[in-house]
Amino acid sequence: MTPAKRWLPFTLKIALLTLLLLWTLIPILWMVLSSFKPNSIITASTPRLLFTPTLEHYATLFSGGNSLWPYLTNSLLIAGTSTLIAVVLGCMAGFGLSRIRIKGKQHLAFWIISTRMAPIAAVIVPLYLLFRYLYLLDTHVGLIVAYLSFNLPFAIWLMTAFFDDLPPDLEEAAMIDGATKWQAFRLVVLPLMTPGLVTTAILCFIFAWNDYAFAQTFSGPGTQTIPIAAAQLLTQTGIDWGKLLAIGTIVVCPMAIAGLLVKRWLVKGLTLGAVK
Amino acid sequence: MMSPALFLLALITLVPFFSIIWMSFNNVSLMGGLTLEFSGLDNWRRVFTDPDIRASWLISLVYFLATVGLEMLIGTVMALLVYSLRRGSNIIISLLLIPMFIAPVIVGLLGRFMLDPSHGLYAWILNETGLFDGNILGSVGSAMTAVILMDVWEWTPLVALIVLAGLTSVPEDTLEAAEMDGANYRQKLLYIILPSISNILLVALLIRAMDAIRFFAIIFITTNGGPADSTKIIPIRLYDIAFRFFDLGYAAAVGITMLVFSILVANAFTKLLKRRESAS
Repeated sequence: MTPAKRWLPFTLKIALLTLLLLWTLIPILWMVLSSFKPNSIITASTPRLLFTPTLEHYATLFSGGNSLWPYLTNSLLIAGTSTLIAVVLGCMAGFGLSRIRIKGKQHLAFWIISTRMAPIAAVIVPLYLLFRYLYLLDTHVGLIVAYLSFNLPFAIWLMTAFFDDLPPDLEEAAMIDGATKWQAFRLVVLPLMTPGLVTTAILCFIFAWNDYAFAQTFSGPGTQTIPIAAAQLLTQTGIDWGKLLAIGTIVVCPMAIAGLLVKRWLVKGLTLGAVK
Repeated sequence: MMSPALFLLALITLVPFFSIIWMSFNNVSLMGGLTLEFSGLDNWRRVFTDPDIRASWLISLVYFLATVGLEMLIGTVMALLVYSLRRGSNIIISLLLIPMFIAPVIVGLLGRFMLDPSHGLYAWILNETGLFDGNILGSVGSAMTAVILMDVWEWTPLVALIVLAGLTSVPEDTLEAAEMDGANYRQKLLYIILPSISNILLVALLIRAMDAIRFFAIIFITTNGGPADSTKIIPIRLYDIAFRFFDLGYAAAVGITMLVFSILVANAFTKLLKRRESAS
């Protein structure tokens, strides 16, 4: 401990941190814990910590007429495809943008970043009209395009930032040794880009997987994603909390794990490369 | 290398962009097929005279200042606390980061669960301690506070993560020199730590500013703008105009005013990046 870091009495510091940890974690732990409670305990008027855990909510989710499977496959298919397209195209464009010297590059960069920052509510309006006109409502393609509207600029921008950190000497040396531009890219540059590619892919997937507004507007009976399944449980007649908490747990856990896997590059990813 | 991505991006962004501009000068009707009827500046006149829109911008402003302000403050404190730890900072920051991976719609649903008047954990605690007794999401004032706190809960970790990255670049030797000269923590914070992370704080602020206007799922699923329109921020209002009243031309005009705001933020962001590049 450098003296420079000492600023609060130790006990107060620990107390503050504990408070922040509790504030952050209680809702998540309560959700996961309650998803294993029988409904009678969830809806009891006083909260209960001790109970006999049950898997009934998960069991009902994956069986019967209105099971979660179709929602899950829609989510995986739509988020996965939009991620794949964004990362492949974003990687190519990122490499090009990072290495090229052209006039007006900052205008191009500004356009890309503006599309990424466009408010979802404002994007929904023209997309709805276009999708209606092109018969893309309630199709996987429609939602994939909607997610590409924010994932593609994100991937281009972030991959550019990752390529900017890689000195061009390496691929130049490979080309001097007789490799073609494509070979230099594939054999020298790409292997070094693994962290960048994985980070970009995971973040794109999380953004698409977590979306509600686009899915609520553009999806239909055949294309609804998991967040829609969760929202559908809010009915006038009452809410099936057990099922809802189980879906919440299913939506949250994989993304939290995936996000923490790329913790090292998270700052770079979420600040679009502005902070290393 | 660049052309496929840029071509696709142009297709999926420019077509909607020109569509929304064209829509804003038309009456768009969905009855019996899609028809656009030119209406000149009608929608635009409404955007600037509609008291509902003005009220929504005001609520948005309050929501924006409260969420982003609290996130910056708590996030910075969070980062300074984690930074000062000798051990375990890695696991602690990992735990603190979890909320930002949670889908906003789930944050909203979880908020509803915790605040449910008859069996929510937080509602029960507030009730038992006598702090608040009533329907939190159903009363004006407490509903706004609740949706603000849900946003703060979800996004404070992001600010903490960014600030923590900035803190690693604070010059240790300068801090130690100040220590030698008898500086106390407040002086070090004010004269060394904060100035050296000022740029990073600005990045965090811009990232949050951009997302604060992008997302609306938390309010969408918890109060949907209620009670009595008290949480009807501009995206929720726009969604109502578009998909409850199907007044898509008017919604387009409102959407463009939102776009202008985000373009200003994007502009500030690129300027900041350029300044950092020329500085390094």
